[in-house]
Amino acid sequence: MPHTPLETAAPAVRLAACECLTPFGGTNETLAALLRGESALRATHVLGADGGDLVPLALLPDRALNEESPPAWLARLRQFLAPVTGPTWGTARRPVIVTSSNFGVGSLYAYHHAQTAADANHAPHGPIHKSVASLRDACEWGPNITIFSHACVSAHLGLVHAARLLALGGEHAPVDEVLVVSYDFLSPFVAGGFHSLKILNTEFPAPYMDRATGSIGLGDGAGFAVLGRDHGAHRIVAQSLHNEMHHFTANRPDGAGFASVFAPIARAASGMRVWIKGHGTGTLEAGRLESNAVAAAFPGAPLVSWKGALGHTLGSCGLVELAIAAASMRNPASDGQASRAPGTVGTSAPVFTSQVATSPFDTAAFDGVVCASNAFGGAHAALLLLKDGK
Amino acid sequence: MLERHIITLRTDDAGREDAAATRERLKAGFPPGAVRRMTQLGMLMSTILNDLAPAPDDAIVYASQYAEGRTLETYLESFPTASPTGFQTSIHPGAVQQGMIRRAQPAGDFFPMAGRDYLVGQSLLTALLAPAARVVLCGGEERGTWLATIDGASERAFAYGMILAQSVADDDARPLGRIALEPGDEAVSPLLSGEWFDLVHARKNFSGVLSPGWRATIEWQ
Repeated sequence: MPHTPLETAAPAVRLAACECLTPFGGTNETLAALLRGESALRATHVLGADGGDLVPLALLPDRALNEESPPAWLARLRQFLAPVTGPTWGTARRPVIVTSSNFGVGSLYAYHHAQTAADANHAPHGPIHKSVASLRDACEWGPNITIFSHACVSAHLGLVHAARLLALGGEHAPVDEVLVVSYDFLSPFVAGGFHSLKILNTEFPAPYMDRATGSIGLGDGAGFAVLGRDHGAHRIVAQSLHNEMHHFTANRPDGAGFASVFAPIARAASGMRVWIKGHGTGTLEAGRLESNAVAAAFPGAPLVSWKGALGHTLGSCGLVELAIAAASMRNPASDGQASRAPGTVGTSAPVFTSQVATSPFDTAAFDGVVCASNAFGGAHAALLLLKDGK
Repeated sequence: MLERHIITLRTDDAGREDAAATRERLKAGFPPGAVRRMTQLGMLMSTILNDLAPAPDDAIVYASQYAEGRTLETYLESFPTASPTGFQTSIHPGAVQQGMIRRAQPAGDFFPMAGRDYLVGQSLLTALLAPAARVVLCGGEERGTWLATIDGASERAFAYGMILAQSVADDDARPLGRIALEPGDEAVSPLLSGEWFDLVHARKNFSGVLSPGWRATIEWQ
C-alpha cells in the first residue's frame, strides 16, 4: 500500500452485519431495554465470592463474577457467534480479527486463587492465545486470526485493520470479508482493578451528569461485525485513532486528545446531520472533556452514552455500542416503530452541555452517527457510520 | 508486494534476567526513582523507544505473545488489596505506554497485538498496511515465573524495536535492510516471538510464509 496521507485512519467499508451480546440479550433486546431506560447494573461484591465492597456490575444472566472451568461465557459466546461460525472464516480471504482487553484473565485469577486441585483446570483458558484458541475451536474457524488488545479501544483497532485489509487489491491476495469479534467478560481481576482506581464505587454511573461524585459501572459484553466492500446497508466512511500518552488514567486537561480524534471525523461529516455515541463512562473529568470536545467538533449534535445501563464493556465496548447504534438507525425499526436511538440512561440534569440527550430521539433526521471510545493511556478512537442510502 | 526499509534497529536480549536485574542494568537511562514503578518489559521497551525516538506521525505496532506476563503475576499476587499501579501496567500495552508516557509522546496509529503462531507474520502485515510514512515495529516479552509454567508468560526476557520507512530520503543513511510481504499460498510455518527476536537480533535473512496467505522476506544489508 503506497503511503498516502489519508484524512482518516482507514478507507470506507460496508457493515454487512453487526450484533452485540449484553446482559439484556442480543442487539434488539438491548436496544429495546435502553429505549425503555432500563439498567442492567446491579450492586455486586467487587471480588465476587471473596466479598468486598458492593459495586455496579452488569453480568450475563446467571453468570457469577468468579470464573468457572471452562469459562461460563464461552458457550454463550459461541451461541451468539453462530451466524459467523465455520471453517470459511479464519482463512486468507475471510480473516478473523479478535479483540479484547481481558480475554481469559478471569481464569488466571481463578487459577491463582485456587482452592482445590480442580482449580488447575482454569489454566488452559487464561493466557491470551489460549483464550482465543478456545474460541477458535468452539467456532470452528480456520487459523487466520489476528489479535489486537488495546484496553477499551481494542474493538476499534479491529475495525481499522479490517478496512485496511479490504482495501488491498491489485497483485495482493483479495480479502472478501473480514470478521471482527470482541469479547470482555468481568472477573474479580477487572473489578478489583477498577475499584483500586477509586472510580468503581457505590454510586451508579450517570455519564455526562454534572454531579459531585463520578463513578463507572462495568458490564459483560461481546460483539461482532462483518465488514465487506460491496454489501451491507450502513457504511463506515471514516475512522480515527489518537493516543495522548499523557498519563495512564487521565486525559490531557486541555482536551487535545478528544479534539485530535474528532477532527478528521468532523471533516468527513461536514454538511451531514450526525448524532454522537460517546464513550461516557461516568467519570467526571473525562465526561466534561468529551462533552466539550463534541460541542466544538459537532455543534448541536445529540450526545449519548449507554454505559449507565450496560456498564463499561471494556475492550468490546466499541463493537457492542456500534451494534446498538446501527440497529437504532435501521429503517424501519424491528418493531415497526420509527427508528429511535436511546438517550443517556441513568443521567438527568444538570448535564455538562445542552447537547447531552437524556431521552430517546428519532434517528430519521440524521445521516449517521459518530461512535467514540477511549482507553488507558489517553487512547482515543472514533468512526463515522452512515446509514443506508447516505 | 508490500515493502518497507529497515532504518533503525535496537534489540535487548535480557535472557533469564529477572526484573530486579533489568532495573539495575537500565536505571541510568531513567530519572531517579522512575524505575521503581516500572515493569521489566516497560523498562526494556522504554529503553528501546528512547533510542528510536519515534516522531508524532509514526505508527506503532507492538507485538507480544504473552503481553505483560510477569506484571500480571504481581498484580494477581496483590489481591485482595488490588494494586492500582499493578492493574494499570498489567493491561496490554502497558509496557509501551510506560515509555511513551514518560516521553510525553503522542501517537496516532498504535496497534498492540498478541497471539502465538502467526503473531509475527500478522504484526508485519499490520506494520506494512499502516499508511504512516514511518512505522515503529516493536515487541518483546518479560520473564515470568509461575505463569510460565502454564504457558502464560515467557521463560526469557527480550525486546526489539525497528523503524520501518516507506522510502529512503536522500539524506538518510543506507537502510539496514528491508521487509517485504507478497502473496503466498504455501503452508504456514509458525514463528514464535522468541524465534523472531533471535532472527532480528542476529540480523539473519529469512523467507517464509508466516501468516496465512503472506510470504515474508527479511533481508539485511
